[in-house]
Amino acid sequence: MPVDTGKVGTSDDPKDPPLILFGSVDTYWKDDFSGKANIPTSFGNEQNSVSIGFVDLGIKKKVGKAAFVGELSFGPRSDQSIPTSGYHIQNLYVSYDVTDKFNLSAGYMSTFVGYEVISPAANFNYSTSYLFTNGPFQNAGFKATYAFSDKVSLMAGVFNNYWNTYTSFVTHGANTTSGDVSTFGAQLTVTPAKGWTAYINLATGPYSGTELDLTTAYQITDAFKLGLNAADFSAPNGGGGFSGVALYPQLAVSKVVTFGLRGEYFTYKNGGGNVTAFTFSSNIKAGAITLIPEIRLDTKSAAFPTTFVDSNGASTNSATQFLIAAVYAF
Amino acid sequence: MKNFIVLAVLVLGFQFAFAQKSLLALDENNKYIYYQVVDRPGVSADSLGKQALGFVNSFFGNKKEKTGNDTSIKVRSYFETYSALAFAKHESGRITFVLSIEIRNNKYRYWLSDFVFTPYERDRYGMFVPVVGKDMVLEQAAKRLDKKELEGYMDQTGAYCQEIGARLKSYMMIDHHLKNKANVEQPKKVVTKNW
Repeated sequence: MPVDTGKVGTSDDPKDPPLILFGSVDTYWKDDFSGKANIPTSFGNEQNSVSIGFVDLGIKKKVGKAAFVGELSFGPRSDQSIPTSGYHIQNLYVSYDVTDKFNLSAGYMSTFVGYEVISPAANFNYSTSYLFTNGPFQNAGFKATYAFSDKVSLMAGVFNNYWNTYTSFVTHGANTTSGDVSTFGAQLTVTPAKGWTAYINLATGPYSGTELDLTTAYQITDAFKLGLNAADFSAPNGGGGFSGVALYPQLAVSKVVTFGLRGEYFTYKNGGGNVTAFTFSSNIKAGAITLIPEIRLDTKSAAFPTTFVDSNGASTNSATQFLIAAVYAF
Repeated sequence: MKNFIVLAVLVLGFQFAFAQKSLLALDENNKYIYYQVVDRPGVSADSLGKQALGFVNSFFGNKKEKTGNDTSIKVRSYFETYSALAFAKHESGRITFVLSIEIRNNKYRYWLSDFVFTPYERDRYGMFVPVVGKDMVLEQAAKRLDKKELEGYMDQTGAYCQEIGARLKSYMMIDHHLKNKANVEQPKKVVTKNW
């Protein structure tokens, strides 16, 4: 989307933003009440251990209409979120504002699909949803974004044939030495009312499958915000898929404390079972640090392809965990 | 000598920080305002009005909403603030404001007011973007912002107002209509047959 530089100056005396450094570090401790790690969603998996997430370091610069973002990460959270060990790239792209309303971007970018993201500094809950875990993390490609007004914009682009890859993949048995850029992506952004933004996302390709996603958030009052994520994914060649919905009510009770609930229902297609998860978190701000105490209860059907065990090691259909994380964002 | 230099730097730094905050006053409605009256003896309102319009178009470009006429101009625009707490500098929000310019013969006045702060948050692409629905008027921001953070934004607001004022006054000192006619820059020519 068009990048707002906040430029102050005349055409004869431009003032571009400085080189920006940003990032975060995070650490956590988690205890599943069974004494064994059960819940399989992304990140924060280690049981009864003071563990680390990642060091996330980004730089960006804009000169005139041209900009770049480079974001590197190191640590377990990074290893679980990048396709190739040793690359450490979360975002690496260049963009150009053709006009105030029309922007072109190319490179390796966080996905446009979904409510939650990889960086803990940009999520409310520290643990992640099943919709996030099963959806794309990043897409490499080329996209164009046009803002029709301050209420409606449309992004469309072409991306590598598979999600979460720095390069396109050669598919098994293909009569070629190169992959292809065959995933189509689009995002319609609408702002129906002040404080309310909705994104309707589509990512579809013959190799990556088709995901249709709705992500929306409405700041209803100064203190109360309601978010929603709903998605349906169909794997290629009738290989199943998933669908689900998550609701994110959040209530700020002071300048530094906000409480939030994530209620999620997620199901795999073709009789793959379902899971319902409730995550109650708080964000407590102390300067640049956010403390996130969190309690989470997941209940699954017997067919759901994850095994939960109780404290005796016996199979069960529910799991409960407590987690506390500290995220420093700069 | 070393101690003296350190002390001087500290005193000057304090004075500079204090000066930025003290640039904003409260108007009769208890709203923050940066207000200046500038005398231009011998310059007509018509001429000053054209210069003020030229400044608004030149300085703000597309980043403005403009209303008014040649003798009374109002512009709504914004500037970005930078984090006052974190050691790494990045965009932390934006402050929208209204710049008002009123023209009379031999003088003009301008003021910036109606400051509204919108915090930014980091998005998935490494960009800092406005948090939807979290606007707060600067006079009431203390209820929702950390004291040190708010002081940083007040400093930046004062500094921005001072910068706009300096640029406006500088622009209004020159008759740009005449300047543009007279100063169409020609490339410097060199006659090579002459030594």
